[in-house]
Formats: sequence, structure tokens, C-alpha cells
Amino acid sequence: MATFAKISDSNQVLAVVIVSDSDTQNAEGVEEESVGQAFLEKNNNWPAAMWIQTSYNTWQHTHSSGDNSKAFRGNYASVGFTWDADSEVFWPIKPFDSWVKHTETASWKSPIGDAPALPSEKQTQNNAKSHAWGYQWNETDKSWDLVDAVVPS
Amino acid sequence: MQKKVLTEQALYFGDVSMPKGFEINYYQLSHDTLQSNFTNEKFLFSRTWDMLNTYIREHINLKYTIKLINKDTWGTIYKPLEISTPLLNVDPVDLRNSPDYTLLYGVQVKDCSVRIHYDDNRRKGKSWDIPLTNNQFIMFPSTNLYYLTNTQKDSLNFVQTITYDYT
Repeated sequence: MATFAKISDSNQVLAVVIVSDSDTQNAEGVEEESVGQAFLEKNNNWPAAMWIQTSYNTWQHTHSSGDNSKAFRGNYASVGFTWDADSEVFWPIKPFDSWVKHTETASWKSPIGDAPALPSEKQTQNNAKSHAWGYQWNETDKSWDLVDAVVPS
Repeated sequence: MQKKVLTEQALYFGDVSMPKGFEINYYQLSHDTLQSNFTNEKFLFSRTWDMLNTYIREHINLKYTIKLINKDTWGTIYKPLEISTPLLNVDPVDLRNSPDYTLLYGVQVKDCSVRIHYDDNRRKGKSWDIPLTNNQFIMFPSTNLYYLTNTQKDSLNFVQTITYDYT
């Protein structure tokens, strides 16, 4: 089966549909995106060029099989994602205004990078399940705040 | 100080901007409205109606994260200078089976406007007027009473109504 994302005129994903193999294969039985696009244009009333094939097994440029050469178009598309035809990537929804594109992983990163590692004492408390320390992005201060998500019982 | 919106009465409106070559076939919808009115039968499902309905559902979901579920649909014909009766698509004694939203779509309209009544807390009986033009939709809560005013002089106005639940 093949999966296609339906995109709007502003390249946002409106829907994701699954098409059977037989409707995406050419006369020689080889899967071709254009065959699936033509099928969808005819049956789902939306222009062929606005159906973009996506891969269920791809996330952040990695493939679930472990063979990243099979990774296809950055991320498995979902409603609200944005299709970037130039880089051939489905970009997830931007989580915060200040975050920037990280093309290597087809994901968004904070302007100061990933959250730091937890201090060892906090990690120990997490391991003991007495707390649930974690970093939460503070968009106002553009910083990672250390917060405890669980109130000990 | 914080704020929590418990409910809102929002009006969604805009053009149905279908891709070139996939425009809504107003002739088909008008024809189906006439047929359904003459035969007194349910509005026929058609590819054109499906395109309109899909466009609305997908774009409302994309922009406002409201998942609409179809409830009913019908087409209405308005004569020149006709003002509709006050319309309400919820049944006050059967709210369980009443729709959440009412959508009006201008199939083929001229000089048509919709007056939507609402309450603003203790300020009762307020109203909002919005014109309905060709290929434009207006969606609002079904609990709002509304009526259509048609001031065209020499043609019929065709308006498609679709009602929805939401999740």
C-alpha cells in the first residue's frame, strides 16, 4: 500500500490517504507516484500535483527498518504539516515561533539547541519515580526550564 | 490573571478556493436543489457536493482543529425580494439529535445577506449581518437563529445548507 498526502494551495497537509498497490503501479507492475496521483485526481477530485507520496516508515530522516537510505521525504505526513517541494520534506508543525528548521533531522530545534541532560540528582529522583523532572521550553525567556511534572503522592 | 474560554460563538466564513479546474459546479448544485424541491425528496449526493463538503471539512480541521461530521444537507431556492422565515436548525426538545453547526453556501446568489441572532451575556437579541455571495460559505453554531434576506429583483437565489456535528 502507498500513502499520499493531500496538500492545500499553501502546501499544508489537508489529509493523508492510503492507496492500494494496484492503483499506484504502472503497466509493468512498478510503483510510480504519478500513477497514484492520477488515480487520486480521478477518484478524490483534487489535482494530481497536489497529492504527494509519503512514507509511513520515515520519521526525522530515519527509516524504521534502520536502513536510512530508505527514508523518504523527511517525515510521515500528517494534517497540518507543510510540504517543502524544494527540499522534498514534510515539515511538522512549528512548535514555537523562535524554533528553527534543522534540515539534517527534518525537525524543529530551539534556537539554543536541545535541552541539556538532567542533573544526576534529578535523574535519580526520576528513576525512583518520586519525581518526573524534565525540561520545558520557555518561549518568553528563550530558555529551557527545569520542571517537575509529577507531584509526589 | 488567567482566562479560560468555556464556549464561544464563532462565525467562520470565506471563499471556497478550489484548485483551478476543480471549481464547484454551481449548475449541478442548482439542478439538484430544483430536483429535490420539485420531487420533495432528499438532496442527491453528487461529486460536486462531495467536493464542497470535503473542502469545508478539511480546511476547518486544518485551520481550527474542528472535526466536522455530516448531519444533513438541503438546497433552498429564494425568490426575488424574499425574506426567509426565522430559521433554527436545532430542535429545542431534541438537542441530542440536533446539529452543532450550520453552514450556508452561496451556490448562485445575488444581493443576499444573512442575519444571525445571538446573545452576548445579558445583552439579548443582538444580531450580525453578513453578505452571502457566490462560492462563499458562512458557518455558525446551530443554536443561533438566522434568516436570509434576498433583495435581488430578477433571479432566483440558490443556497446550500449543510449541518454538522463536531468532535
